[in-house]
Amino acid sequence: MSRVHLVAWTILLGFGGFVIYESLQLNYYGSDFGPGPGFFSFWLGVLVILVSLWEVTRTLPRLHEAVPADFFPDGAGVRRILALIGALVAALLLMGTLGYSITILLFSVFLLRVLATQPWWLTLVLSLGASFGTFFFFRALQVYLPVGFLGI
Amino acid sequence: MESLQQLMAGFAVALTVKNLLFATAGCILGTLIGVLPGLGPAAGTALLIPITFRLEPTSAIIMLAAIYYGAMYGGTITSVLINVPGEAASVVTCMDGYEMAKKGRAGAALGIAAIGSFFGGTVATFGLVLVALPLSRFALTFGPPEYFALLCVGLSLVMGLAGKSLTRALIMGIVGLIFSMVGVDPVEGAPRFTFGITKLMDGVGFVPVVMGFFGIGEILLNAEKSLAGVMAESGKVSSFFPRRDEWRICATSILRGTGLGFFLGLIPGTNSAVAAFMSYVVEKKVSKHPEKFGTGVIEGVAGPETANNAYANAALIPLFTLGLPGSPTIAILMGALIMNGLMPGPLLFQQHADFVWAVIASLYIGNVILLILNLPLVGWWAKLLKIPYQTLVVLILVFCMIGAYSLNNSIFDIGVMIFCGILGYGFKKLDFPMAPAILTLILGPMMEQHLRESLSLSQGSYAIFFTRPISLFFLAVTAAILATSAWQALPSSIREGSKDAQV
Repeated sequence: MSRVHLVAWTILLGFGGFVIYESLQLNYYGSDFGPGPGFFSFWLGVLVILVSLWEVTRTLPRLHEAVPADFFPDGAGVRRILALIGALVAALLLMGTLGYSITILLFSVFLLRVLATQPWWLTLVLSLGASFGTFFFFRALQVYLPVGFLGI
Repeated sequence: MESLQQLMAGFAVALTVKNLLFATAGCILGTLIGVLPGLGPAAGTALLIPITFRLEPTSAIIMLAAIYYGAMYGGTITSVLINVPGEAASVVTCMDGYEMAKKGRAGAALGIAAIGSFFGGTVATFGLVLVALPLSRFALTFGPPEYFALLCVGLSLVMGLAGKSLTRALIMGIVGLIFSMVGVDPVEGAPRFTFGITKLMDGVGFVPVVMGFFGIGEILLNAEKSLAGVMAESGKVSSFFPRRDEWRICATSILRGTGLGFFLGLIPGTNSAVAAFMSYVVEKKVSKHPEKFGTGVIEGVAGPETANNAYANAALIPLFTLGLPGSPTIAILMGALIMNGLMPGPLLFQQHADFVWAVIASLYIGNVILLILNLPLVGWWAKLLKIPYQTLVVLILVFCMIGAYSLNNSIFDIGVMIFCGILGYGFKKLDFPMAPAILTLILGPMMEQHLRESLSLSQGSYAIFFTRPISLFFLAVTAAILATSAWQALPSSIREGSKDAQV
């Protein structure tokens, strides 16, 4: 497990460096008295580096510790996670063009039919409810969800 | 005495059939909105404001207040049943409430939350009547240094939530603070960490981050195994009441939670998450078995839920007396008041006394309505567990997207949610606690603003924090909390070594 944590803390170490670099592009002192826009974030970056360095040095001597067998998902698990993330990103990209209802209809059909292997009738009923059902429910509550080029 | 007379007059207004119906409708709608994963009290109250447009101001605010605390309880239901907190205050409830649900005790968790919320809410409302005026005078003496020092107390509690590793909690707190820096600098208007993306100028929204960390992150983690049947592991629902041996523990937790939530509710600048987090920390500290926290202990639900609701009622005091909203939801209520031609502030009690006291009276009534509605309905809500997980996943994802989108009508916020979901998945895998990040994300902007305003007042001198007694007191409390937490985090060998040296 320590190897995994070493990687995580090293990434955080880099993140701290990035925060400091970005903060230095801003004014450390304000135009008024006291700190400027870069003050707080600079010291937060320093704290990230200090905490990460402490953890990296603590983790290094324990690198021989084995990673638990179930830490990494199996092939099917990885495919499911990637499919979920892919579906979310696709929905994000399509929502502006296709609108909420059609995007969520496609999104739900994909999740229910392909990932959850539900029967077609259930997939369609649930997908219509999740897409057009929620669209009109929220419209009744005066929450207007994105509308696409088809006007829905 | 004068307060009591006015309260009676308020009851006369609040107990009219019309206002009772609005309070009941508000409680039901609020709970429903709170139950929908992804829509917390802030988003729920905001999206139901239009419903009250045509009502007269008193009825409108009575209904919105009922929606507000109904949604708070709704958030508890999703936290316990599906580990998706509706808002920050419910994050704490997930820790033990969801674990109780996994052990088949979802009913007991929801039951004690309803009882605790009722008790905390009722006592807080009674306290509201007694201390509103004198306390508002005291809080009027707070300036930016006092607020900054008070927020330091809130942030130091991050340490108390350390869980298994102090450094992991600390780094998550810092990550939350860095997230809160994104956007336009509150004092000078300079863009920070926006990378040229205009949408980031408004900062990172709280709702997308919470939805991502908790909603999407949890689903990705569950997807490792299989989308089928995960919900079944959450167990069966049996009794809605705690076991006999748990009543005494619950009673003391509820009393502590009431005091804590009420006190914090009086202080503008805090929020219900701080009340819930602080109550959890206190319960853990006083417990005989602190190591069991996070595995499904009932006081881990009773204390924070009571504190949360006591806070929700007490938080209306600074709003009504000072015009200061203590949380995003209270800010939305404030907006609704202004829309109805009522400017919250010290003059509200004088110019619209009938309105204020009617709303306060309706809070009592609302707490009774919530208890009557919730205890019998706990079983009905618990039936959510029986919905197959793969079906629920689609609903959770859709409501997360709606929740992330609807606050600012921004598709970009859905992107932020997905990004935070992937981050949340990683953090969960590595056992990094996410609650500190959520707390600091809320407190960060207020803290920075008060720090910089204080230093402007003192012309750059940090002595301003140590020369003002209230500020100094809060900083001393912060130091004490930090020192205690750091000491407890030391390996036992070092602590024992130190004891030996003293002997």
